[in-house]
Amino acid sequence: MTTNKSLFLIPKFITTPSQNGVGRYVCQLQRVVLKFCKNHGSSRGIREFIEYDLLNFANKNPEVVVYLKPRRHRGPVIKAEYLNGDDQIVFCHNNTREEIAKWLNLLRTQSGNHDGTRLRKLWHTDYPSIQGPWTPYTFRDPALNLAEFPNEELSRPLDQPKTATEELDELFKKQQESEVAESSEVK
Amino acid sequence: MSVLKRVQQWATFARIWHVYDATWQNPFQSAELLKKYLMGIHKPIYHPMNDCGDHVIVINSLDIALPGNEWAKRVYFHHTGYPGGATWTLAWELHRKDPTMILKKAVYNSMDGNLQRRYTMERLHIFPDGNVPPELMGNVSNQIRQIRPMPKRLDHYTKEEVEKFPKIIDYPKDYILR
Repeated sequence: MTTNKSLFLIPKFITTPSQNGVGRYVCQLQRVVLKFCKNHGSSRGIREFIEYDLLNFANKNPEVVVYLKPRRHRGPVIKAEYLNGDDQIVFCHNNTREEIAKWLNLLRTQSGNHDGTRLRKLWHTDYPSIQGPWTPYTFRDPALNLAEFPNEELSRPLDQPKTATEELDELFKKQQESEVAESSEVK
Repeated sequence: MSVLKRVQQWATFARIWHVYDATWQNPFQSAELLKKYLMGIHKPIYHPMNDCGDHVIVINSLDIALPGNEWAKRVYFHHTGYPGGATWTLAWELHRKDPTMILKKAVYNSMDGNLQRRYTMERLHIFPDGNVPPELMGNVSNQIRQIRPMPKRLDHYTKEEVEKFPKIIDYPKDYILR
């Protein structure tokens, strides 16, 4: 059986491994391997990064193990391994020194490999609603509980203007009331 | 899932039964109204992939009112699939054969033709008159308001009300009352 599953991004929710960052922070990136070629031009940026920035990176992030793996005439690659067992491979062919730094920063701050996934919500909350989820009974008119169905009064459309008959009837009633009041005054 | 959460889920997705009186109502406008209840579009939890549609009981479908001269002009097409199997039925003919059919087709045609449509139609119960089985009527907990008001006919007023109604003019002396 064939599926189109590979065509779609896997939907995911934002999660934090064991409340990371509450109280203490554990860097989820455990190991990073920079693979590069010593001669080839496509590795130039990564070589520059190693020459100028890598020591700073390693000093600043003592919790991340950094390996360097020179290999002849093959493209430059960053391999990241996370605490949850994920590993992520970033191809940095012809990337500049700044781009490598940005990739490494991304890998360092991520909680795992999120490639091929789509976030269903850009936020997360442990308490989605204080008043509780909606049900068909919330905001329901309690008078409906006692109504008999089918009900002519509940079937009538709302916001209807008065008919001529009703208006005439009202006028007539007003007239009669005023007549009664006048006659009582006379007495 | 805890017991409380399970009950919460049942409450949120509970199916409500509505009743709608089709007397003197345009079936095509009614269909647009009823479709919202059948598909659950009126609920804040609506999503095309969740199954939150309600049941709707329509009564008095015999008394629907088609606009203009549509009783004579509207044609329902059917083809049996065999050569020469095409039939064209006028609205009044169809209504005479089955008084629920026009409303049913109106609701069916108002919805998009996807896989869910047949299942949504299962939740629509149409009755030509007010005789609904009590086991269905017992489920009803809401009435859908009509789109047009039903005017009261003269013979529906009591004799007292008619006599009490204020007289606006005096008939001329030579006016012949039939």
